[in-house]
Amino acid sequence: MKREEPNWLAVLKISMPLCLSYLPIGLACGILLHAAGFNFIMTFLVSIVVFSGGAQFLIASLLTINAPMLSIVVTLFFLELRYALLGSSLSKYMKNQPQRFIWLFSVSLNDENYAINYLKFATDKNWTPRQALMVEHYSLISWAAANLVGSLVGSAISINLEIVDFALTALFLYMIVMQVRNRLTLIIGLLSAVLAAVCLVATKSTIGIIISTLLASFVGFFIESRLRHTGTKAERWMFGKVRGPAMTRKTIEDKNES
Amino acid sequence: MNNLLLNAPVVAQSVNSTMDSWDHLLLIFLAAIAAFIPRYFPMRFFTKREIPEWFNEWMKYVPVSLFTALVIKGIFIDTASYSFHLFGHVNQIIAAVIVIIITYMTRSMALSVIAGLVAVALITFLM
Repeated sequence: MKREEPNWLAVLKISMPLCLSYLPIGLACGILLHAAGFNFIMTFLVSIVVFSGGAQFLIASLLTINAPMLSIVVTLFFLELRYALLGSSLSKYMKNQPQRFIWLFSVSLNDENYAINYLKFATDKNWTPRQALMVEHYSLISWAAANLVGSLVGSAISINLEIVDFALTALFLYMIVMQVRNRLTLIIGLLSAVLAAVCLVATKSTIGIIISTLLASFVGFFIESRLRHTGTKAERWMFGKVRGPAMTRKTIEDKNES
Repeated sequence: MNNLLLNAPVVAQSVNSTMDSWDHLLLIFLAAIAAFIPRYFPMRFFTKREIPEWFNEWMKYVPVSLFTALVIKGIFIDTASYSFHLFGHVNQIIAAVIVIIITYMTRSMALSVIAGLVAVALITFLM
């Protein structure tokens, strides 16, 4: 360290790559929400209170097919359920924080700012919950601004919506690839794909997504609880690592494994 | 629409009629609650207690199951009739393979999403 830079600037530098990558995705999301009938105030509001790319794309795409409100909200709940895991994994760093802080921190928790904060907490012993909250707020500002601009631009230009809508699929594909760390998750993903197709066709509604998610995740849970710590060949195979190219192995898990 | 949820009172009136801004506001309010519960309560709860193993093990498989289901719905299901079409969107299938490769190689969210959008636009244009 040559010179002490102010805290807000140091944290901003750490958040910058994330803030920049939110801009194009936020724009696409704003355009789609506008096409789904949200006015710019609603788009701005939803990007602050929900603050989740996946959830907002999903709202837009379910609104355009006239899905019932209850069905949208239940699907959203399952989509957001992954934050239960992310939130509880950060909870060990929040032990001395007041309730109000935990409330504030959890409302702007998100996949991407979680990734940054988890990495910082694990590698930088001087990283504080306050700085973590600042990362969340920087990313929130950039996300909400991009959504607002997208919503305003959406009314001015006409864009092929089927193409913009693919941003949702691309975002989920990205998250799937990031999730697959061993063969069992890969198998559960494939199982879920088959179950989803069957359940969607059978129920003729988005409820099929919820049923297939519950089934596939319970199968994963069941297999894991039967195989873990058995020391069998099947366990070693199932939990064998699926890893990306060496240059991308930057996370704590990667370092612990190698 | 032959929908399982049609019996619920909130739902019945919102089907077939497009929503107005008040419906949107209600939707945002409910969505905010749906987003808040899983983010807040587990974090608050586990700052005081140990995380039980079954919870972790189950939660591990929820995201991958749900994301896959949503991708399948996006690419292979025609949402007007809820019928399955293996090659209904060949452009999206090719673009999806490109997204998977790019994510695998770079692990960058922005790069993957933008590459996917460019790919699907180009392929749609060329077809």
